[in-house]
Amino acid sequence: METIKRYVIYTLLLAVAVAAFTFCDSRLDEAHPGRKKTVALIVRMKHGDYWRTVKLGAETAAKEYDLNLNFYAPDYEEDTQTQMELLRQAALDGYDALVVAPSGDRVLQEAIALTNPRVPIITLDTEGQQTAVKSYIGTDNYDMGKKACEKMIQLIGKSGQIALMGTGRSTANAVSRERGVRDVIAGEKHVELVSAEYGKLDKKLVGELTRDLFQHYPEIQGIIALDASTAVDVAEEIEKMGLQEKIKIVAIDNPSEVLEYLQEGVISATIIQKPFSMGYLGVKYALDASEGRPVPSRVDTGTKVIDRENMFWSENQKLLFPFVK
Amino acid sequence: MKRLLSGVVDAIKAKSIQFIITTSFTLVTVLVVLFVGVMLYSKFTETAEQNAYLNTQQILEQVKYNLDSYLNGTTQIFELVDDKIRRSQGVALEKLTEQLEAIVETRKDIVSIAVFSRTGELLIGTPAKPMRKNSELAEQSWFQSAVADPNNLSFSLPHIQNLFKGEYTWVVSMSRGITIKGDRGDIPAVLLVDVNFKEIDDLCQRVGLGKKGYVYIIDLVGNIVYHPQQQLVYVGLKNENRSLPLRYSYGSYVDDSGGEQRLITIKTVDQLGWKIIGVSYMDEIATMKSEISRFLIWLLCFVFVIVLLLLSYISAKISRPIMMLERSMERVEQGDFTVNEPIRGCHEVEQLSARFHLMMAKVRELMNQIIREQEAKRKSELEVLQAQIHPHFLYNTLNSVVRMVGIGKNEDVITTITSLSKLFRISLSRGKSIITVQEEIEHVRNYLIIQKMRYKQKFEYEIEAREEVLACKTLKLLLQPIVENAIYHGIEPMADPGHIRISASLCEGKLLFVVQDNGLGMPPHVREQVLAGGYKSEGGSGVGIQNVNERIRLTFGEEYGLEIESELEVGTTVKVWLPYLRDDEQEG
Repeated sequence: METIKRYVIYTLLLAVAVAAFTFCDSRLDEAHPGRKKTVALIVRMKHGDYWRTVKLGAETAAKEYDLNLNFYAPDYEEDTQTQMELLRQAALDGYDALVVAPSGDRVLQEAIALTNPRVPIITLDTEGQQTAVKSYIGTDNYDMGKKACEKMIQLIGKSGQIALMGTGRSTANAVSRERGVRDVIAGEKHVELVSAEYGKLDKKLVGELTRDLFQHYPEIQGIIALDASTAVDVAEEIEKMGLQEKIKIVAIDNPSEVLEYLQEGVISATIIQKPFSMGYLGVKYALDASEGRPVPSRVDTGTKVIDRENMFWSENQKLLFPFVK
Repeated sequence: MKRLLSGVVDAIKAKSIQFIITTSFTLVTVLVVLFVGVMLYSKFTETAEQNAYLNTQQILEQVKYNLDSYLNGTTQIFELVDDKIRRSQGVALEKLTEQLEAIVETRKDIVSIAVFSRTGELLIGTPAKPMRKNSELAEQSWFQSAVADPNNLSFSLPHIQNLFKGEYTWVVSMSRGITIKGDRGDIPAVLLVDVNFKEIDDLCQRVGLGKKGYVYIIDLVGNIVYHPQQQLVYVGLKNENRSLPLRYSYGSYVDDSGGEQRLITIKTVDQLGWKIIGVSYMDEIATMKSEISRFLIWLLCFVFVIVLLLLSYISAKISRPIMMLERSMERVEQGDFTVNEPIRGCHEVEQLSARFHLMMAKVRELMNQIIREQEAKRKSELEVLQAQIHPHFLYNTLNSVVRMVGIGKNEDVITTITSLSKLFRISLSRGKSIITVQEEIEHVRNYLIIQKMRYKQKFEYEIEAREEVLACKTLKLLLQPIVENAIYHGIEPMADPGHIRISASLCEGKLLFVVQDNGLGMPPHVREQVLAGGYKSEGGSGVGIQNVNERIRLTFGEEYGLEIESELEVGTTVKVWLPYLRDDEQEG
């Protein structure tokens, strides 16, 4: 009787040992892929070279640091509602770090509310006013405005009348850019900012505003467009009016229309951002922050002034044309 | 501390078979597994490293092959176009353009075909799209190299095609000098075929070396043709050391400049001298190494536990019967010879146990035999002793007889001699040691008669025996030594006349003799000594009281024997307990 009991005990112990071993073994197999970090990246728009380049940069970083990248983007820019829904979706999917390019402060607040305080949040492209944000990675928009204005002053030979064309939206980026422009003009004696118009991203309105500008200020020499879309619309109107030889346009960003106008000579210069670096550094610092390493609270990815002269330099080609199509 | 340690050692029983078997076998097994594990580990990792290396080589070879064949294909197209243009000299321009368009349509990767004069003027072009302004084609590398070396086909680096309106496309430009027959004679011109870079880009992008590894391509002077992180390299976020690969056309080396160990493998495309460089990360191999080592450690732990369990079971199975055997031996050592339970276990131990028990049985038998022999010997010795009447007694008695004859007391002489002869007759009893109570009483009566004669009526005696006990069996000469003691030590030193009372009766199913005197009595310590045999009387028959006691116990057992009660100045009572045995039940 006792021997049977002993046999049973030994068999049980053996079974437990085998079970423990297989358990540990299977856990060992799963351990590595399971520990991969997840970074959620929420940008403002699915389309457009700018955001696609951000995504490309983020994907490059994700591959390099071997992590999962969840990419979310609404179909249209400035769609705060959809972006907030995407935030909730991202929270459901789970992440170890959040990289967000908020279309408004409300989105950022939602992001902070949805995220565990220990999970780092990094903003991209648009700087928020929230202290809970670990880091801002993007362009120094004030500096960008300054650069645009400086380039314009150089183009018009340091004297003359110029105008400013914006969107009229009070986004932080637009405000900073305009401030940069105005600050530079304030220091120039011979350059006069005669008008600041806001086209509200409406092609027709921009056209009208441009024409009006010439009626009111026939001596005007240059227009600084504070965003790509407005720049294209202004350039189109100028080309239509046949004034491209007379008027200098300084644009922002590098969609292909801007680049075409740049080669044609309608747009004299454009200030480009580095969205690839944004995406790449955003994910890289998100990973660093989620693993407790210190990250800089503000990263300026830099800007570059592109004109017809340097646009086809080989080091600029990849910046201007990030995609091989 | 020392005690604690020894306690632990005791608890483990460091010298026990179980411990020795378990530890030594576990040690051996673990060592073997460890050895095998280390061997496997080094073999595995070596193979893994070699595989990684070979894999990279093979992948790069594949990339090189694909790139070579793709470039060959495009070169053929170029030659075809070149041939067509050469042979169609004089043919209407529209027809040629049509033919070229057909080529462009069949090959999606051909972006454009164009012939430019040395001044940069477009002579033939397809697809028919307007030229862009400010393209500055004369400044472009493909144009310049075709002008500088018109006979050789040159490939440009990938660049943006900015000649024609429409989408900006990444292309590789193939160019060579060509002569066009014009109205005013031969015009030196440049033939340009732009191939979409996407094909090469896709080809390289698809290649992965491990999780993080990648492939990049540089040209003869180190310009990047393709790099998955080209933007990072230009921005300065990533540093790719391009000078070292530039020096070699094939081979591989480990580069740890960037803080990470990277295996760099180089291949060269035959046609262009472009270098395909594979970058794989050594830490991925290291991760695999650590995975293997972790697996092996787990395996080791598992084997250790299993072996420990198995061996403790096996060794317990072996050592338990031995321990049981040891325990039964310990019982024997403590004097318990009755151990007889067989021990079950392995054959040898069972055999050992059987032998041991056989031996024990023999020992038991021998011991019983010795005890029996010893008892018999002692009994016969005692019987020999009791059979002798002390010569001193005989001498005293005969002296008394002589004295009685001297004074003419013939009656007394007759009585004494008669008693003496009866005494001897019963003493001898034909060598029997068991006699009847009647004979025993007769014997003591004759003894008392003689002693009374000797002591000149110094004491009176009284013998009283119940009818039913007279026929009972008793050892002979039990009462005489007791009476002798009573006379010599109780009555003789006393001034008053003594009195001895002897009775025989049944009490509680036993036969009881009582010898009572009114002599001096004895103190308790003397009484103890008398029973223990340490007290020897002089002038007696030589048969001590303790001899009587011993004889009774040897013959009948421990429950029988003497019992002495004594009080100083009052007297002594000696009780003799014997079994109640009838004459017909017992044979002498």
